Amino acid sequence: MTRTLRLSTVALVALLGACKKEEPPTPTAPAQQPQAEAKPAEPPAPKALKIGLVIDVGGRGDHSFNDAALRGLETWAAGKRYEGGKYAPASAEEVKQSITQDLANLQPPITALNVEPLVIQSKSPEDYEPNLDLLVEQGSDLTIGNGFLLESAVEATAKKQPKAKFLLVDSLILDAENKPYSLPNVRTVTFKENEGSFLVGALAGLVSKTGKVGFVGGMEVPIIKRFEAGYRAGVKTTNAKAAPGLVAVYTGSFDNVAAGKQVAQDLLKKGVDVIFQAAGADGLGVIQAVKEARAAGKQVWVIGVDSDQSHVAPEVVLTSMLKHVDLAIYHACRDLTEGKFAAGDVVLGLKEGGVGYAEVRLDFPGKAEALQKVEALRQRINSGELKVPGTMDEFAAFQATP
Amino acid sequence: MLELLEALLFSTLDAAPALIFAALGGVLSERAGVVNVGVEGQMRAGAFCAAVAALFMPTPLGVVLGMLAGAGLAAIHGYLSIRWRSDQVVSGMAINLVALAGGTFLLESLYSPNGTPAIEQLPRWTLPLIHGVPLLGALSEHSGMTYLALVLPFVFHAVLTHTPIGLRLRAVGEKPHAVATLGLSVQGLRWGAVLGGGLLAGLGGAVLSTAVLDRFEQHTPAGLGFMALAAMVFGRWTPLGAFGAASFFAFGNALRIGLASSAPGILEFIPQGFLLALPYLLTLILLAVQGQRSSAPAALGTPYEQESR
Repeated sequence: MTRTLRLSTVALVALLGACKKEEPPTPTAPAQQPQAEAKPAEPPAPKALKIGLVIDVGGRGDHSFNDAALRGLETWAAGKRYEGGKYAPASAEEVKQSITQDLANLQPPITALNVEPLVIQSKSPEDYEPNLDLLVEQGSDLTIGNGFLLESAVEATAKKQPKAKFLLVDSLILDAENKPYSLPNVRTVTFKENEGSFLVGALAGLVSKTGKVGFVGGMEVPIIKRFEAGYRAGVKTTNAKAAPGLVAVYTGSFDNVAAGKQVAQDLLKKGVDVIFQAAGADGLGVIQAVKEARAAGKQVWVIGVDSDQSHVAPEVVLTSMLKHVDLAIYHACRDLTEGKFAAGDVVLGLKEGGVGYAEVRLDFPGKAEALQKVEALRQRINSGELKVPGTMDEFAAFQATP
Repeated sequence: MLELLEALLFSTLDAAPALIFAALGGVLSERAGVVNVGVEGQMRAGAFCAAVAALFMPTPLGVVLGMLAGAGLAAIHGYLSIRWRSDQVVSGMAINLVALAGGTFLLESLYSPNGTPAIEQLPRWTLPLIHGVPLLGALSEHSGMTYLALVLPFVFHAVLTHTPIGLRLRAVGEKPHAVATLGLSVQGLRWGAVLGGGLLAGLGGAVLSTAVLDRFEQHTPAGLGFMALAAMVFGRWTPLGAFGAASFFAFGNALRIGLASSAPGILEFIPQGFLLALPYLLTLILLAVQGQRSSAPAALGTPYEQESR
């Protein structure tokens, strides 16, 4: 018996050791690499500012929200490419390709800054706060929490570390009663996703042949509801018949590809021919289902989210609702290097270039006309004439004016 | 109405196999007295290796390699818990952690963090007679894995209840000393069960990356292994029970999705979160109701020592 006990203790100790070891590789691998590379190469240049970034459990490689943040920091601000766990310099061509068409003529243009990225992925929600702490301790000059899931972690860390600077993407700082307030060392950036979703909704309404369009959301939270409300309003504006039957389904997660696929298959079986997904990694399952349906001969489309997802399945991704987390992060980095970084709440809408839609590369009957209509709607939103609903209550009161 | 039912059935049959195989894997290992909380990790290993192997060879062969990968992880579990009699829960959790981090590490260093490149999916079979027939048509257009998942539980049940080897397996989980007095190897039987369980869990994972998706995706299997364990407990550690429970969970999930798209009004009353938690809730209730009369194998979780009584 004692032997058993001793052995299981050994196993437990080994396990604990293993746990501890498992954690750091993600943070330290990218963190140390650039330091080691940078030291011999640059004697006179001013010291690179360290920018810390904690991404949520969706992880690197979601082709969507987190990848947009990484693009803003790694590719645009630092001019680096992440490959096999380390950084390599990105070529000018790569950087150019990563910039979507709508930002191609941005002034001032996107150029590499003297910053050094420190990226930590989070394995579970409990990791957010320790990860932010770790970055501050490692001396990051600006620490970014990417996603509303990190709201309370950023809030707590910012209070503990009043001298450090923070950027919170996708949420305001909220108090115990969910009332927004501000902290002197935190900049928040939120987006008017409803405006971008409105435009892709308008396009979906014009493209649909069956008159049935669908929406797949991840977790049923206010942000995703904002996508849904804008999308519904867009569909209602261009295709009033499709609006009442629009089906919106939530998978309940952001990291379960199989769930997304199952939901989309169900929608496709019910005759839906255009699906807009805002569901993180679950959305990749939605794209997969549409791809398979297309291979089986159905005329179906899918609309991507956050990043341009065309490369995931070029034959079925009609366009993507762009949410320029990349730009928000790049701007914060630039402000920091220019000494202009200030706390406060930034809201980015269509007019500010914060949201939009990716180039429509696929052909469909009446494409030119449809795009013209969508662009006309963009003008009306920019001029303030058209107010896009941001909640389901506002949508209920929304009157479509084609 | 018939169409809705057909869509529901189709969706269930498409999603259930991974859960069924993994639950059967849990049953096999635990009936022989070895706790197997490492199902999640074994599935992940199976899914990863099947997808990577399928890049270089025909997909069915990749599935076999995925099964072997699940058995490989199970072998570590067996080595720790049978050979060295370590705590079976601890060793199972260790497997889960190693598979989670190891899978991400290998994926990032070999391919990209997104997932492996796309592979050729397992073909879907169109059943000639019933294809297109209302309701029955839901049985058509699935991969071979679905049909295997419908047959395997019955084969497993027959072996477990009607053959000598099945009797020995059950005995080694209930009273290993009795098995030893008959001159049979307790360790050998348990090794067989643990490796077999690993093969099945690996198959469950391989289904996810070769039939459900066409690549290994970084989050696979996203908690499905734990749901399989819940199905095993809910099915009272029997192959047919686990099969029923796994199908029921898959059906419940399909129903939730189906309701959301065809009768959105219902979800105003029942929160989706409740439906998502339902499988685990049912398992908890069952365990609470059973109380002392648990149907778990008597020697489950106890390492076998010849000298002990």
